[in-house]
Amino acid sequence: MKLLPFEKPLEILYKELERRKRNGEDTLHLEELIEKQMEEIYKKLTPFDTVLVARHPDRPQPQDYINALLTDFTEFHGDRVSEDDPALIAGFGFFKGMPVFAMGTRKGHNIHERLKYHSGMLSPSGFRKAARLVETVSHSFKVPIISFVDTPGAMVSPQSEMSGQVEAIYKSLSALLNANVPVISVITGEGGGLGAIGISTGDRILMLTYSYFAVVSPEAGSAILFKNTEAKSRVASQLHLTARELLSLNVIDGIIEEPLGGAQRFKNAVIKSVGDALQSELETLLKEPVTELKKRRLEKYESMGVFTK
Amino acid sequence: MNIFGKKKKIVLPVIQGDGQDVKVRCNSCGRLIDYDTLKENYKICPYCGYHFRMSATERISVLADKGTFDELGEPIQSVDVLNFTDTVPYKKRLADLKDTVGLPNAILAGSGKIGGIQCAIGVFAFEFLNGTLGSATGEKLAELIRFAGKNSLPLVVVFSSAGERVQEGIFSLMQVAKTVSALNAYKEKEGSLFISVLTNPVLGGVASIAMAGDVIIAESGSYVGVSGPRISEYVMKRSLPKEAQKVENLMKRGFVDIITDRKGLKDTIIRILKFQNKWGKL
Ligand SMILES: [Zn+2]
Repeated sequence: MKLLPFEKPLEILYKELERRKRNGEDTLHLEELIEKQMEEIYKKLTPFDTVLVARHPDRPQPQDYINALLTDFTEFHGDRVSEDDPALIAGFGFFKGMPVFAMGTRKGHNIHERLKYHSGMLSPSGFRKAARLVETVSHSFKVPIISFVDTPGAMVSPQSEMSGQVEAIYKSLSALLNANVPVISVITGEGGGLGAIGISTGDRILMLTYSYFAVVSPEAGSAILFKNTEAKSRVASQLHLTARELLSLNVIDGIIEEPLGGAQRFKNAVIKSVGDALQSELETLLKEPVTELKKRRLEKYESMGVFTK
Repeated sequence: MNIFGKKKKIVLPVIQGDGQDVKVRCNSCGRLIDYDTLKENYKICPYCGYHFRMSATERISVLADKGTFDELGEPIQSVDVLNFTDTVPYKKRLADLKDTVGLPNAILAGSGKIGGIQCAIGVFAFEFLNGTLGSATGEKLAELIRFAGKNSLPLVVVFSSAGERVQEGIFSLMQVAKTVSALNAYKEKEGSLFISVLTNPVLGGVASIAMAGDVIIAESGSYVGVSGPRISEYVMKRSLPKEAQKVENLMKRGFVDIITDRKGLKDTIIRILKFQNKWGKL
């Protein structure tokens, strides 16, 4: 497993663990030590460290959650206008027996996949696919929408600009706000700017402990404010981008706890926690008439912001 | 890379001067222009057609019929909610802006007549932190949209913005959802009409809001897109050719209805307002 810079103290312990395992020596004490050390490290993560955990290539990604939590998942393709954006996985399946629509950004666990999926950055055709399917779900299928978000941001390239990226984001955001079905979003890793809000507006926004959600990535924020990316760590602290801070600012609705050490080390446990959280949120949301839900969803967004008169 | 082969400085509001001799150097062709001539010419360079940036008040004065613009509601002030400091504390930036720009946020919103037709009018103030979308700006825009719906008025918004305001973090991003939500409610009304005017530049979430226009008019030579050159340069590690965000190209690709220079803007808006059947009025 790739160790993050702040996990360096673990490196020597992991090496020793490997050696002992090879030699068939007792490892119980050492494993306890590693666990303790890890807890110490993870209790002291800075916001920028959290961003690094959120980006860890071995963390479960939206497609992993969808494949593990849904049965009979059937992927739908295309925006009906131009193409199919492979960076957005979208389709229907059964969640604990209930039909749902699920979508999420595909990020990729290795270089090859990352290139193919643009590291989870949606192109205009991705946002348009989301908008088209959300409208179909809202009108015809009438099932809850679950959106898994792990994206550094929306795609920025000559191609995406010329294909109307900003218009496509508007379409997707607007379709989610208008949806006549419950909408739950889970930010599982990166929640970068417009690219994230374009597919995450809903009745409930949940975040994993080591995910982040921000107006811009710390690097982009630093570039805008300081004309270089050196201040990324300082900007990360000021942006209030961690799940805890965003919950206390009332921007998100809940946190799905990850064990100290992160989802990259405890994949199955974290996937199960996400499933449990989704089930409990869905149970609550489905008790309410959808007109009431939608009214409160719009009120929530229309009351967001801090200002004085 | 700059495909135009010349470096363009950010255009600051033109030097405040009342004397005859005040001259301004054109950012594009470099010639000296008499300030009064420039002002009379909608701040368009008489030699090369370069559009100088206009302040929100100047915009209103060339867009709304004389003496008809009434500002909407109470002023809404930006707040340093995250206790943010970049090169300067955000609190200080806000305090300084109060003195220099004299606006509480980055939008001037109200009701007024355009060609005799009553409208809800919003104008972004680029001179206020590059027209960025802080909470106060988002709230004021949403207030204007709700006002337009309530009073069955056409909505005309002139956009010029660098996008989200980093110093207000996630709250800035949330203003995109807030205003799109308000626009959705407005658009549901029969006979509602949102005329979106793109001027140079409109970026990020503000561009997404602007693309909600029922009619999208762009001032010639404007740039509209996801992010400015700095992000591409420092973060994407490659430069984005400016051509990709030029409204002339976006019109070719189907995202803009009409392109006009600034002189023709008001007449274009009036014509569109007149094309609307009064029976369609809410
Ligand atoms: Zn000139």
